[in-house]
Amino acid sequence: MRSRMPSARLVFVAVAFGGAAALGAATTGAPASTAVDPVVNGTIRGRVELRQAPADLSPRPHVGDVAMPRAHDPTDRRRSVVYLETAPRAAFDQRDEPRARLDQRNEAFVPHVLAIVAGTTVDFPNNDKTYHNVFSLSPTKPFDLGRYAVGHSKSIKFDRPGIVRVFCDIHSHMSAFILVFAHRHFAVSDDEGRYRLDNVPPGTYTVIAWNESAPSESRRIMVPESGGDVEVNFALGRR
Amino acid sequence: MCRPTVRPTPSSRPSSWAVAVAAWLLVPLPALAQPLPTGPVNAFDGRLAVGAEVVATIGERDDIAFFNYTDYEHNTLRMFRLAMSASWRPLSRIAIVGEIRSEDLDRVRPYAAYVRVRPWINRAFDVQAGRIPPTFGAFGRRGYQGNDNPLIGYPLAYQYLTSLRPDAAPATVADLLVMRGRGWRTSYPIGSQTLGPGVPLISAFRWDTGIQAHWEGQAIEVTGSVTSGTLADPRVSDNNGGKQVSSRLAYRPTAGLVFGGSAARGEFFDREVTEALPESGGSHAQTAFGADAEYSRGYWLVRSEVVWSRWNVPFATPPSNLTVGALGAWVEGRYRVTPRIVVSGRADRLAFSRLDVGPNLTPTWDANVWRIEADAGYYIQRNLVARFAVQHNDRDGGRVRKRTYYSGQVAYWF
Repeated sequence: MRSRMPSARLVFVAVAFGGAAALGAATTGAPASTAVDPVVNGTIRGRVELRQAPADLSPRPHVGDVAMPRAHDPTDRRRSVVYLETAPRAAFDQRDEPRARLDQRNEAFVPHVLAIVAGTTVDFPNNDKTYHNVFSLSPTKPFDLGRYAVGHSKSIKFDRPGIVRVFCDIHSHMSAFILVFAHRHFAVSDDEGRYRLDNVPPGTYTVIAWNESAPSESRRIMVPESGGDVEVNFALGRR
Repeated sequence: MCRPTVRPTPSSRPSSWAVAVAAWLLVPLPALAQPLPTGPVNAFDGRLAVGAEVVATIGERDDIAFFNYTDYEHNTLRMFRLAMSASWRPLSRIAIVGEIRSEDLDRVRPYAAYVRVRPWINRAFDVQAGRIPPTFGAFGRRGYQGNDNPLIGYPLAYQYLTSLRPDAAPATVADLLVMRGRGWRTSYPIGSQTLGPGVPLISAFRWDTGIQAHWEGQAIEVTGSVTSGTLADPRVSDNNGGKQVSSRLAYRPTAGLVFGGSAARGEFFDREVTEALPESGGSHAQTAFGADAEYSRGYWLVRSEVVWSRWNVPFATPPSNLTVGALGAWVEGRYRVTPRIVVSGRADRLAFSRLDVGPNLTPTWDANVWRIEADAGYYIQRNLVARFAVQHNDRDGGRVRKRTYYSGQVAYWF
């Protein structure tokens, strides 16, 4: 999995540090700033299929335990994130201070995959019966919230785009991904793998589908001047 | 008594393998074509989970003081350990759990091999049979997997070799006293005549064989077991016809805080020894009591444990039993400085009871030991850590009384 990370990370870094000029160049076919015809934004939608269903995360076999491991909620690893590699300048405008939530319940992070825009503050409430210690060693945002009990919450602001892998120091099977984007054109797939990117200005884009269990795939697509839906389907993983 | 010759042990060989393994583990991950696994390998729809651990510890050679030797004659500060563990759950109420381990590329030994049954699926009551986790104390179950021990070294009570042996016994008190501070290789006239290591108060490197039951309530846990060996000498097969009974009660008043109390009693000496001393009569048991506590909050983790053990030792001259005791106590703490950097420390004491051998002459039957250790660890990735330690030992007997060790360790697990 890690070998696939660098490419995704590079994408994030390119978006984060490339600047609007580079983005403008990248989004070839972006709408000309003529005031004659109103620009109609389009929708990119489709489905991300995983060729191999990823297995649930199980605890490390700890032979020192004297009881059956506690039942924990299964980790939904089928969720994928679909995003534009680069986005129009307007997608970088941010007027509010967004917040998101990554819960700890029944020895699982909920949701397992969280996609946010840079600048979002994520709350990590402990709604479990036991201690947790949320941490990440990811270069994008290394942090350690320490151990805190049920009913308490701690927060972290994610300023930089990138992938942040989150773990619990106490429970080896608990992990989550936070994908931090510099723009707003991203979506997390639903139970059936469907996704939808709304309000995409006309132009040519590279759409990328990411899943933790398979190498990412990209497609070059064009949202026409007239707007409308563009369907892009992905199938991730080995054939 | 002639001085035993020092036999080269695996740990005293050049540790080029340990350096090589450490170097390999420290290779930057992007340079590896295939990254190291970050979690257990699963199969059969998650019913089979396989994990492994590689621990390379590089330290000074020590073939004179033997402060850190185990009952398998390996130096914990200069050891290469490979372990593979697996849990197979064919049914929701049955699990088969095992671990094999090799130290210093010595032969592979089965450390854990047991079946766990949960008779009532909705009740937290489990029965385990086979080579089972220790019931007594807290460290024994933790210390088995390297990452659970916050330091490189082990607590004295779980590792330091006293001069007692289950397969040999002193004929007189003088025989016992002459072995003070020489637990790494002792010899006695009764029983086995070969030189051999003594035993710690509790072995952290071998598990006992028997049956265990565990019940867990809202804040209380109760564990009890009947096994073949004793805390100091866990065994696969019985050697004296006696069984050890041990129990532990744990109380969790709130998340992050645990108090535990333990007791154990089992026949210690080998049949060969007791049959050679029929006049001594009675029980020759190891009896132990323990108390442990753990508290964690924020970036802190603090643990403490006290173990008091006594043995009824048979003597030939005069024919009698003498009770000798030992007290091990330590406190350890860990603090996470940054997400990657962890510091930890332990202060440890092992003290032995006194023998009345003459007017104003009451030596301890083995040499008391103090140990202080400080470690710093750096997490290269979540399951790959490099640690460095300074450990100072102080003993009031033996050939070498003070010794400071510097060691480094790379541990990887999944």
